[in-house]
Amino acid sequence: MSATALAPSGWTIAFLGLVRYRVVVILIATLAIAATFVPGFFDARTLSLGADRVATMGLIAIGLTVVLIAGQLDLSGGAILALSGIASVGLQGELGQIPAALVGLGVGLLAGCVNGVLVVVLKINSLVATLASMLLFRAICHLITDSRPVSGIDPFFGIPLTQPLLGTLSTRVFIFLALILLLHVWLTRMVSGRNLFAVGSNATSAAASGIRSNWYLFGAFMFSGFMAGLAGVTFGIASNTGSPVFGDTIVLTAIAAVVIGGTRLEGGVGSALGTLGGLLTLAALTTAMEYQSIPAYVQDIVTGAILLILILLDRLTHARRGTDVSLRALVQRFSPTRDAAQPKETERTPA
Amino acid sequence: MSDTLLDTTTTGVPGTSRVTRANLGARLGPLIGMPLGIVLLLVIGTILSDRFFTAGNLVNVLINISILGVIVVGMAFVFITRGLADLSVPATVAVGAILTLSLQPAIGTAAAAGVGILAATGAGVVNGVLIGYARINPVITTLAVSTIVLGVAQWSVGGVIVYGSDPEAQAFLNSRVFGVPVIVIIFLIVALLGHLVLSRTSLGRWVYAAGSNPDATRASAVPLARTRATAFILTAGLSGLAGALLGITLQTARPAIGIGYEFDAITAVVVGGISLLGGSGSIPRALGGLLFVALLNNILVLQGVPTAVQGIAKGLLIVLAVSLDIYLRRKGGRS
Repeated sequence: MSATALAPSGWTIAFLGLVRYRVVVILIATLAIAATFVPGFFDARTLSLGADRVATMGLIAIGLTVVLIAGQLDLSGGAILALSGIASVGLQGELGQIPAALVGLGVGLLAGCVNGVLVVVLKINSLVATLASMLLFRAICHLITDSRPVSGIDPFFGIPLTQPLLGTLSTRVFIFLALILLLHVWLTRMVSGRNLFAVGSNATSAAASGIRSNWYLFGAFMFSGFMAGLAGVTFGIASNTGSPVFGDTIVLTAIAAVVIGGTRLEGGVGSALGTLGGLLTLAALTTAMEYQSIPAYVQDIVTGAILLILILLDRLTHARRGTDVSLRALVQRFSPTRDAAQPKETERTPA
Repeated sequence: MSDTLLDTTTTGVPGTSRVTRANLGARLGPLIGMPLGIVLLLVIGTILSDRFFTAGNLVNVLINISILGVIVVGMAFVFITRGLADLSVPATVAVGAILTLSLQPAIGTAAAAGVGILAATGAGVVNGVLIGYARINPVITTLAVSTIVLGVAQWSVGGVIVYGSDPEAQAFLNSRVFGVPVIVIIFLIVALLGHLVLSRTSLGRWVYAAGSNPDATRASAVPLARTRATAFILTAGLSGLAGALLGITLQTARPAIGIGYEFDAITAVVVGGISLLGGSGSIPRALGGLLFVALLNNILVLQGVPTAVQGIAKGLLIVLAVSLDIYLRRKGGRS
């Protein structure tokens, strides 16, 4: 594409800039719509409900962000969530509550290692590998529980997780927010985080320039497994239940949230804050539509359409990568009209 | 099979044929491995249970795989064009089933099934255009299209479960011609047509070419985008057909009716030794994989093994099949 040969017009730049910061644009638009239709949307209670909804899926999305940036896919998160939830709730009687939770986290880490072995050592395509491990983990869940939900010994143990802390947001929301901010710092400020983008763009060239690509890939799956484990443990403890059917559709929604946030399935592009934006967009959208009692299937249509439009836009701008649409360039270009909303910085690797 | 057409036996240097003994084994492995595995399962099944090798049981296995088999034919095309996988199968199956049953009273079963298949094909066109022409990642495209299509299908019937009103159609699908159920005959016709298209037509050649080397394919003026798109349109249409068959057989259609068919179809194709890298494979191999999984399941069921263990077996089978495939490719000198 020789897009840079012609000087792009102001409209094109504006359009490209809009697409570049589409996560922010769509998040603000969704919030505006939600605020119009839901009276008291910005009330503490509504917000905390919406945020609480995000917490479990958000943990899985954090893991997926890393895996997707590394250019891989992980379908097994929902099954790992169920498995570690069962471990952390079912073992409470024998081990006590805290050790059982730790075992649940260990189960998630171990499951991530299994994925890592399949993809990195056996060189199986991650789509097929995690499909197989998803079937495996799910089957193990059914086997150890006899397909029945298990419940914990003390329903009050999980209360602190869901109880509002500092007014509105619950503890598990804080855990999620802290982790996603940490991920942002790691991805943007640390060498190993930048290396992950290199591995995702081209694992072979990354290896040739001295990055241990295979370790990064393995680590990405371990991290994703651990995050799914954490999601399972917090969800299990909060609901005092572990069930083999928990999280059976969560991964596909989480992938949608991550992709809405600007992370590409081809790898090498993505950001933690984008994922946060994607998650909040989905949550605000769902809250607003549920409040209007729009049927679930219409909500699906809207979610799917947004996802489709965003990936199409991403494709469009991908062809015009040469154009500088960084925040600074945009502000310079449109300096007389500085009233544009100040978007958050969205990270992107150098092409 | 595409690899038999390419002459990889000579290296160009006299006296150094690439067919060494180990190499020969690696090249023959994929050819005889699957039939051998199926025969082995038949023998094991017969030894373990006296109910296994009876016409009744084997016909049951065939009926069970017929609907899934129709989808597997399409999924094989997607795999061979290096289109990764079509995750919109559950939605297109549901579209086929829901439309067939809901339009049945108004326009008759056959016409309703036709509309259902057409609507599913329409979803496939969207998939095909986005993946083939706009070159968006197939996983996320089919995921998004799937969400939308399923939503629209539910919307059109008001989000309720649809019940059938034509028991004669159900009876027809279960009736037998020379001892073979009609539904199995439909599956076999689809499989035969799919095989002929893939092995005897220029579209079939393009499908292999698109999967083995997209850049060279484009340079040779093969319509790469159209070929990729066709694979997804075909899969969606066949899933619609599978949905129509499923709806008529069950006489009820829920929106979730197709869930699991996408992963089952992928499992069959992968166990059949068709790689996600594309460029190789065939309909008989995919159906071999399907039969292998079905026979294994049947043996486990007859042995009274819990469903959970069947899931473990299926997962391990995928890992084993793909690892074996990768190992054989490496040994065979193809990366």
